[in-house]
Amino acid sequence: MSAASSLSITWTIASLTLTRLVRGRALWVSAMIAALPIAFAYVLSTRDRPDDSTIVDVFAFEQLVLAVLPALFVASSIGEEIEDRTTTYLWSRPIPRWAVLAGKLLALLPIICVLSVASWFAASIAGAFAPPSAASCLALVLGGVGLSLVAAAIATLVPKYAMALTICYMLFFDLPLGVMPASIKQLSITHHVRMIADVVSIAEDSVATGVTGIATISLVWFVVGLWRIRRLEA
Amino acid sequence: MSVVVADKCSKWYGDVLGVSDVSWRLRGGIVGLLGPNGAGKSSLMKMMAGLIRPSRGSVAVFGKCPFSDVEVRRRIGYAPEHEKTWDELTALELVTVMAKLAGVSKGSAVAAERALDQVGMTFAMHRRVKGFSKGMRQRTKLATAIAHDPEVLLLDEPLTGVDPVARVDIVDRIRKLGEAGKTIVVSSHVLYEIEALTSEIVVIHRGQMLAEGNVYEIRRLIDRYPHRIRIECDRPRTIAAALAEQDHVARIVFERNGVLIETRDPDRCYDQLAAAVLEHGVAVSSLGSPDNNLGAVFEYLTGDGRR
Repeated sequence: MSAASSLSITWTIASLTLTRLVRGRALWVSAMIAALPIAFAYVLSTRDRPDDSTIVDVFAFEQLVLAVLPALFVASSIGEEIEDRTTTYLWSRPIPRWAVLAGKLLALLPIICVLSVASWFAASIAGAFAPPSAASCLALVLGGVGLSLVAAAIATLVPKYAMALTICYMLFFDLPLGVMPASIKQLSITHHVRMIADVVSIAEDSVATGVTGIATISLVWFVVGLWRIRRLEA
Repeated sequence: MSVVVADKCSKWYGDVLGVSDVSWRLRGGIVGLLGPNGAGKSSLMKMMAGLIRPSRGSVAVFGKCPFSDVEVRRRIGYAPEHEKTWDELTALELVTVMAKLAGVSKGSAVAAERALDQVGMTFAMHRRVKGFSKGMRQRTKLATAIAHDPEVLLLDEPLTGVDPVARVDIVDRIRKLGEAGKTIVVSSHVLYEIEALTSEIVVIHRGQMLAEGNVYEIRRLIDRYPHRIRIECDRPRTIAAALAEQDHVARIVFERNGVLIETRDPDRCYDQLAAAVLEHGVAVSSLGSPDNNLGAVFEYLTGDGRR
């Protein structure tokens, strides 16, 4: 199959995913979730004068949102597709299996990244603190990409409970692991997000380490997702 | 050259055997895959469509494995048994997407419109699939299967749940596709649905191929048993009254939201049923045939009934 044809298929699946998303409820639910840190920042600003700890608290909230959005978008989209057996329509067509994952991610990743960064910007305005740094925005974008690849892989492994399991993974594994005072925290994407964002001072602070960490973890998960989707039967 | 070749093909789902050691060659035309629910028809169809892999043996379409060979799937059109689809889309959007994914890069919308026209869905092509009746969904599924003009059509239970009028129409459209030179495999658990389409059938039961060939011998066997038709509608008593006096009707049983009719002449019964529905304007929500009569024939063929 030629590259142009693969690209066209990926684009078609992305368009399909976007159309379904816009006509469904997930986008609006996610927008409301992304608005929560804005409300949180506003409440903090009304109680105390904004300082560094306010920014740290709001960014921590942003990370929570970042942990939930890929589950809502990516995991549910892929999981429902497999569970509802609409994949039979896709897999009976002359398309490579990876194109399904690629198409979904192409449609959903920009939305996750835009929602996260927009929420962070709006929270800075609502909380009356300094505008977000480029590093913190980059961290949210990279974190969104990494966590979405994790969500995609979980959805191919356990489609029935994709969203719930992804949220559990993020909230009960990745986030707690990231704050552990041990090298095991390197397995956490949110730890690397904090490292890149430079909002919190971390001993081994380095953008390059953070980017490499996210790239490695998400690549491993993506390979798992690709391996699994090639073997899935409808 | 055979279009489809299944060679000692078996499919296991954990401990459950879906298809057992099936060897079959399909050379062309319309072929009916007949068997009760759970017989292995859908598994065989899915293997031909490249959705699942045989656990043992092989299935080849045009000499290629449809699971691993992406290109051969361009020559196959598949309509699944289940109703789930992307309900947020309109019929035209759905069929256009399917055509694009099948490789119709230019003019996919035109191909989709043509396919919807072929199945009589032009009137609803701008409506969302979400609000479609079962019959409309079946037609739309058929359109997704034919939009890219494939050489082989695999239609899994395309008449299930369709009202009598739509059934006649869909059968007619499938036959036209067959006359146009397509190789078509249609599965059903109702002999009379298959019989309306083709005389060439493959009987499958408990994952095994029991018989292959002409429908008349099977029909002779099945006619020993009364055929049962279950119709769910808003006025079951009107339907019952219209059929009660017919000599072929052995029994009428009223059920919740419908009526069960036992007949010795299914063809006449279906015709009279359609006429009664049209004449009295009865709203039919579902129409089907329970497996029992066919099951009796399968028991006969497998020898279970003589034990």
